[in-house]
Amino acid sequence: MTICYSNICVRLGGKDILTGVDLQSKEGKIVGIVGANGCGKSTLIKTTFQMVHNHAGDILIDGKSVKSYSPRDLASMVGYVGQDQSVAFDFSVRDVVTMGLYARKDKKRGRVIIDTAMASLGVEKFADRSIQRLSGGERKMVFIARTVAQGADMYILDEPTNHLDIKHQLFVMDYLKKSGKTTLIVIHDLRLAAHYCDYLYMLADGKTYAQGTPTEVLTKENVRHVFGIDGYAEKDESGILDFKLFGA
Amino acid sequence: MNKRIWHIILYVILAALLVFSLLYTVGIGSTQISLKEVYSILIDHIFNGDARINAGEFESITFRIVWLIRMPRTLFALLVGAGLSICGCAMQALVLNPIADPYVLGVSSGASAGAAIALLAPITLIESQYQTTTFAFVGALFSAFVVYFLAKRAGGGKLQPVTLLLAGTAVNAVMSAITSYLVFMAKSPESISAVYNWQMGAISAAQWKTLVIPATLVLAGLVIFTVMGSRFNMIMMGDEDAAAMGLRVKMFRSAMFIVCSVVVASLVSITGIIGFVGLVVPHVVRLLSRTSDNRTVMPMSALFGASYIMWADAFARSSHGASELPLGIVTAFIGAPFFMFLMIRNGYGGRGK
Repeated sequence: MTICYSNICVRLGGKDILTGVDLQSKEGKIVGIVGANGCGKSTLIKTTFQMVHNHAGDILIDGKSVKSYSPRDLASMVGYVGQDQSVAFDFSVRDVVTMGLYARKDKKRGRVIIDTAMASLGVEKFADRSIQRLSGGERKMVFIARTVAQGADMYILDEPTNHLDIKHQLFVMDYLKKSGKTTLIVIHDLRLAAHYCDYLYMLADGKTYAQGTPTEVLTKENVRHVFGIDGYAEKDESGILDFKLFGA
Repeated sequence: MNKRIWHIILYVILAALLVFSLLYTVGIGSTQISLKEVYSILIDHIFNGDARINAGEFESITFRIVWLIRMPRTLFALLVGAGLSICGCAMQALVLNPIADPYVLGVSSGASAGAAIALLAPITLIESQYQTTTFAFVGALFSAFVVYFLAKRAGGGKLQPVTLLLAGTAVNAVMSAITSYLVFMAKSPESISAVYNWQMGAISAAQWKTLVIPATLVLAGLVIFTVMGSRFNMIMMGDEDAAAMGLRVKMFRSAMFIVCSVVVASLVSITGIIGFVGLVVPHVVRLLSRTSDNRTVMPMSALFGASYIMWADAFARSSHGASELPLGIVTAFIGAPFFMFLMIRNGYGGRGK
């Protein structure tokens, strides 16, 4: 399953956020979106669920416009976790993960689905705790577990490693890698991007500034232009792709 | 203890409380009637076709007090409690804020202004009882949407607790002014006193025949809200999350606001404004049941709210001898401090957690 954004333009509060972005997921791969703060990364992926009102352009899933799917069908295909972690009401972790079942057509064995989803993200030990009592990172894991319960074939995640300590950052990225699902993530950490993403889109000034493998995208010139710092992606002695940072 | 077992126990307790409250509070008032007598009269009337009353075992005046005055009134209190509680619960979910209820959000005063227009303005479009309810419904719906969009606009596209409260206050002020103006302009003393009573929240006017519409609508509301419980849960996670989980957020919110407005209108058009019920009850239920899951909170709020208002009304009609205390005053004395408590505890009940 692939998702394809073509010529996405967004204007918010009299400001052009995105001016014609094209982006495509890769079957079974992790595609990362990088760029400076406020360049419209989150806005772009929010258009998937029609959460951004003034947007133009087409979003196609397997060649069909997202508008032709019901929200429920869309949720059964795409699991989305946004940045906002706040919860106004006191739900237990199990309650939150259970909400993922709504999008599922086959709700049989719901309990098993929920237990498995919680276990896969290691949040089963919080099952009966209130989500409000968890830290930002723990909440993030719960929300990802919820999309697992949705049974979606594709993940779209806005900074999935945000708020997580280093161990859990690696845990989540490993989980996504191992799941083998088509994944689109907004990611700030360029080291993680270099390590885990199969393909990168670099956004700047409302447009796609560069795209390709991490080595192709995270070049000295691109990083300088987009982030205003010195650094680039390079393989280290053991052959692992790393992002080397030299300073501002 | 396992939550599921605890919920079953809680249901049994709340149901028993409801039945006991109904039978017991019917006996409370200027004429005290014992629980046993109330029970015997009701059983005799409902199942035995008045055999014992006709045989002279009870005084017919007692029968009339129980069956024609107190019973419809108590049942109406039950409906008011259940209806306002589930609407409070629904509105808290719809505006993502635990301090919402039909009174705070101006829906009750909108319904009240609508009803005042129907009662006092010299226009008759449909049969009078329906007209009051219909006008109240339009007023309630209008207020609900004005408050929602005003708050959203002022909050820069987001529903902030403070702007929500301000919008509710503003709409409340306008709607109360409309009602007061209509009372001021009204000619006949009867209609003025009718409106006055009903502004204070009085349910003494309840009769068997006026129960039909509110009973139908409250029950329908309860069924709808409970069936939609999991969707209410989703919208409580925020619009973005709800949409990502597959909910048609806008459509659901509009539809549920309409259901709320219908239920509130059916009650407020008869009783006038009874505030803070929808605020207090769902909170107490969430504390007792230790869950926010609306599939549980909705029906429990209906049960608990019903008992709460039956007792509040029993207190209102018996505490000051022959003169009745308006029910709205009783609920405000209980609810307003609770509201203040929530404000302090939650820091405006913001989404900051």
